[in-house]
Amino acid sequence: MTRSLLSVAIHLYGAAAVVYLSYLIRQFRALPVIGRGLVGLGLAVHAGSVGVALAGQGGLPSGIAQGFSIVSLVLLSIFFFLDLRYRIPVIGAFLMPVALAALVPGILLSKDAARLLPTAPRPLLPVHIAIALVGIASFGVAAGVAVMYVLMERQLKGKKFGVLFARLPSLAFLDDLNRRLVVWGFVALSATLMTGAFFASNAHGVFWAWEAKEIATLVAWVFFAAVLNFRLFAGWQGRRVALLTMAGFCILLVSFFTSYDPGRTTGTMP
Amino acid sequence: MEIFCLGLSHKTAPLTVRERLALGNDKTEQVLKGLVDGLAEAMLVSTCNRVEFYVAADTADAARERLRADVAGLGGPESLDHLYEHRGDEALVHLFRVAASLDSMVLGEPQILGQVKDAYELARKAGSVRGELSRACSAAFVSAKRVRTETGVGRAATSMASAAVEMAKKVFGGLAGKRVLVVGAGEMSELAARHLKTAGVTELVVTNRTFSRAEELAALVGGTARPYEELTALLVPADVVVCSTASPSPIFTRQNVQAQLKARRHRPLFMVDLAVPRDIDPAVNELDQVYAYDVDDIQKSVAENSAARASEAAKAELIIAEELARFVRAREVRDGVPVLARLRETAAQIAKAEVERTFQNLSSEELSDKAKTSIEAMAMAVVNKLLHQPTARLRETGAGDDFRLAEAAAELFGLDTPVSGGKR
Repeated sequence: MTRSLLSVAIHLYGAAAVVYLSYLIRQFRALPVIGRGLVGLGLAVHAGSVGVALAGQGGLPSGIAQGFSIVSLVLLSIFFFLDLRYRIPVIGAFLMPVALAALVPGILLSKDAARLLPTAPRPLLPVHIAIALVGIASFGVAAGVAVMYVLMERQLKGKKFGVLFARLPSLAFLDDLNRRLVVWGFVALSATLMTGAFFASNAHGVFWAWEAKEIATLVAWVFFAAVLNFRLFAGWQGRRVALLTMAGFCILLVSFFTSYDPGRTTGTMP
Repeated sequence: MEIFCLGLSHKTAPLTVRERLALGNDKTEQVLKGLVDGLAEAMLVSTCNRVEFYVAADTADAARERLRADVAGLGGPESLDHLYEHRGDEALVHLFRVAASLDSMVLGEPQILGQVKDAYELARKAGSVRGELSRACSAAFVSAKRVRTETGVGRAATSMASAAVEMAKKVFGGLAGKRVLVVGAGEMSELAARHLKTAGVTELVVTNRTFSRAEELAALVGGTARPYEELTALLVPADVVVCSTASPSPIFTRQNVQAQLKARRHRPLFMVDLAVPRDIDPAVNELDQVYAYDVDDIQKSVAENSAARASEAAKAELIIAEELARFVRAREVRDGVPVLARLRETAAQIAKAEVERTFQNLSSEELSDKAKTSIEAMAMAVVNKLLHQPTARLRETGAGDDFRLAEAAAELFGLDTPVSGGKR
């Protein structure tokens, strides 16, 4: 049931990806509208599939595939909101393929979903996980926007006015969007660390165990804290920040993957 | 009287050579006054991209030697290597093309017509243009105006300003609330300033070497004027910089822009260089968060680029050919040449035909060959006597400006010469 729902969602997203990519090449006005519709529909089906799955698992996600699925759901929701708010369908061409890349392997791997350890404390864990996923998704979108910034910047500097040039939004817009997304992501990441530490001290007696995922997440947090500080107090912006955002997202992905370390002790999501 | 043109431009001479020949108004006047002592008329067009002498003289060869000597005296003997020359109608074509901005570095740029007009005014004040050259200039201005209004060649240059605005929008999104620094107070600066103002720019600062002109432009476009000495400091608050000065070397270098970046706190800076030669060193573009665009870059960005402009230029050339033909016809009418020729031709034909008829009516026995010749001669003599006075009058007036008489003669005798070509 959940798998077939997810498969429907993936097909909808796939169609939307094709629509957004063709919008990159030919700017028909209908394309963004169709894309928006497809993503909206896909999100509804996807949310239904995740909801059904989580209900069956007592509200907790399990396995890397489901993790990816939920990250994609949040990421696309953010995109959907941004598109409704700012009307920038071009982002779709960058984010839809990323979301699909995260979803498709998941549906193929979804059999080996590991069960969570029963020691997990009930009320806090789902909150912790949800916040962590929102954080990762925000940084994912921010990294996508950063890629767009770097591409646009390169065209402006090199004076090569290709297909993307006419389509991409202005540097100022992309930079501002990056700032907002990184701020949201950073707030979510901070909350993840705090709830994680609280949950760990409750479960294991120590709030910091120097596990790989803890270290990776902390490194990512310090990294983004530094980026935000440079932005706010030294006025850093533009290409430099875009490149840092991409690097930070890579660190965060490491933290995401290490949460699925087979030798882990706590057996939870980041 | 023949028109002769001799000069050098961005196409033939490097800037260093052109600089040496760039003369101020006083010097130009002096040169012109020297030239008309020997040549009938003289005009000197001097811009940062070209220095050209236009003269009217009895023979182009005499003019050529005079001008070459002058050029060598003003710009050194090596300037002679970069000269081109045109004579007769070729010189006219050149003048028409220059005025219509078809010979400009930036095709269709609007300043050149004003510069040629200034050159003409200067020569008129110096008393060095009167008849032929003066008429050639008026005709060149008319054709340049037609080129500007009837073709898209001029739009290419105006579109430079709007393309620059579009490009700035790619950096800043909107231009509302952005601060613009305009360096230089020429026509191009004004055009760019107006476009930026329309795009929503709120703060406009104008600076210029001559402060009074900065004040004029600032008043014209609703900005504030600042002294040129503050130039690099003015970079700090600016978001967009538009340069169009006549400076022969870059006024913004990598060093002096970089020095201001820290104070700018990494805010993006968009710099447009509409000047030729460039005001902004291309290396400035390498600086972080600085986007420096020159004329070529902006043109590259204008969408339906070269093909459309090439066809507009072809249209412009057609207009020039038309206007030139009109000018040449008018000149012929002025000189009375076709009217006279046709008048005489027609009269001779009538006389000949009447003589023939007379001969046919008389039998050959009644008329000796000698008598026939006498009759023929008499008929031609009547024609010549009758036409003598009109011919002299037509020649007289044709040498001056007045060609109403030629038109009247054509009308009176029903000669289908293209007199209408002379009407405006």
